[in-house]
Amino acid sequence: MRNIFIITWFTLREAMARKVFLFFAGISILVLLGSILVFSLVDTQSFISTMTQGQADLVVSEIIAKLELLIISPLAGLCLLLAIFSSASFVPVMLEKGTIDLLLSKPISRPQLLIGKYLGGLLVVFLNILFLIVGVWLIISLKFSYWEFSFLLVSLTVTFAFAVLYSIIVLFGVITRSSILGMMVAYLIFLILSPLLQLYKAELHTFIENGFAKTILDGLYYIIPQTAELMGKITVEVAAGHGIENYSPVITSFFLLILVMSFSIFLFRKKDF
Amino acid sequence: MTAIETSSLEKIYSTSFGKQKVQALKELSLSVNEGTIFGLLGPNGAGKTTLIKLLLGITFPTFGSAKIFNEDISGYDFKKRIGYLPENHKYPPYLKGGEVLHFFGKLSGMEGQQLTKKIDEMLELVKLSEWKKTKVKAYSKGMMQRLGLAQSIINDPELIFLDEPTDGVDPIGRKEIRDILLELKSRGKTIFLNSHLLSEVELITDRVGILNKGSLLREGSVKELTEKKEEYTINIDDNDYDLLNHSDSSHQITKLSDGSYSVKVDDVRSINILIDKIRSDGKIIKEVLLQKSTLEDMFISLISKAEAGEEN
Repeated sequence: MRNIFIITWFTLREAMARKVFLFFAGISILVLLGSILVFSLVDTQSFISTMTQGQADLVVSEIIAKLELLIISPLAGLCLLLAIFSSASFVPVMLEKGTIDLLLSKPISRPQLLIGKYLGGLLVVFLNILFLIVGVWLIISLKFSYWEFSFLLVSLTVTFAFAVLYSIIVLFGVITRSSILGMMVAYLIFLILSPLLQLYKAELHTFIENGFAKTILDGLYYIIPQTAELMGKITVEVAAGHGIENYSPVITSFFLLILVMSFSIFLFRKKDF
Repeated sequence: MTAIETSSLEKIYSTSFGKQKVQALKELSLSVNEGTIFGLLGPNGAGKTTLIKLLLGITFPTFGSAKIFNEDISGYDFKKRIGYLPENHKYPPYLKGGEVLHFFGKLSGMEGQQLTKKIDEMLELVKLSEWKKTKVKAYSKGMMQRLGLAQSIINDPELIFLDEPTDGVDPIGRKEIRDILLELKSRGKTIFLNSHLLSEVELITDRVGILNKGSLLREGSVKELTEKKEEYTINIDDNDYDLLNHSDSSHQITKLSDGSYSVKVDDVRSINILIDKIRSDGKIIKEVLLQKSTLEDMFISLISKAEAGEEN
């Protein structure tokens, strides 16, 4: 455990040195300043009455949750894109000749080394996302004097979506010792495959008659990490404080994460450097 | 006690999807005693670095086994007793000299005051105290080597592997590194040294192994390896005396430019017989020297023979 902590801590240090924090913080601060500026121009009472006109059942908590999501949803997606980009090289850099030799000569096991690096990357992204989410939450809560803590849990769903994609980046990093392929696969899943498969499952499933194609698409739906659901429906449910209606995307993605990380560790344990 | 013991260690690297195979080490059996400095010599690609990597679990053997301090190398606990300076080592450029030692000290199991004290001590030893708070990206090659040496001994290891430790270091720095290694040896440490600088290896090692294309060609003390067992130089205190008269089947004598003679004999008994003959002629022998080659001469001759043997 101690060894994992040391590697995790030094991955944070690496992220700071590579200005990952500064970059994220810069974007977050810009967003927060923009939000402060916009909300300072808005009159709270007239805004709420406008929003509830003709929708008597719409309560303040829901308006605020929607407002928070309106700001966070595009930003969380952007955060994830940046997170993939900024963390993709953590493992390949560790595997460079001259660096890995030194690390493996120390009394630390290979699984500890890889898990430490994985957790380090995860922690970097979690802290950055948390900063943005807490910031948005504070601004809106202060403005409307309404404190809905469930919105803070969005930082966990976004980090979890990243954790799944990051496990794939780590796997490709171990195999190729390069960040390019892992990054490309992560982007492919996040931007194309997962949204398309979500669309298929939600809208197109009943229109496809070919049984073979259906089986393939169903299989892919469960094999490919369901980041579109995690970042979409599940994040919305968590933010609104309603609880998650369908845990299937979380469970399948979690199993995939464990499977991919186990395979990465297996390969890393066998690899010659 | 044995610090390192390998038994028929082999390493075959597969390239191009397993189509091409490169045998980096061939049935290497070697043992290094505790408290000695062992030098491993060999041309580029001989397998020196591969051997160290196998012993440290950085790469895995194809066949054979190895033990360090009688412990199988498949574990990692024994690494607490080991230090390593790899060739072309890389430290994170954003770390300062002191932070590098802090990181690797912590990974070696050190903590708190003990580590803080040791960092200062090590930087002092390699003369980098003033650079403690400077990022390593500003260090010269020689400074990086010295920092690497400090890193390799931060945990006070019993066995230290050094791969080209004086690479890029100026002559004064090399002398300082040699002195540190000798001091470590005097404290009972075992040092396994890979180096191209044969003259340096000759100065500090107790035993030397010569590796070529993965095979251990010879192993022994520097004295054993550099002695020309059957060749002597004899200097006689009479310029008119002609020793060539005594040349026969058991004494091949050649006159050297300085007036002394080079004598090749079958064994020690033969040289004694020749000495007796000279003395019975009433001549005074000024000196009899057993001829020695340098480690470099021996190395080049051995590698050339191995290459020629392979061609034939």
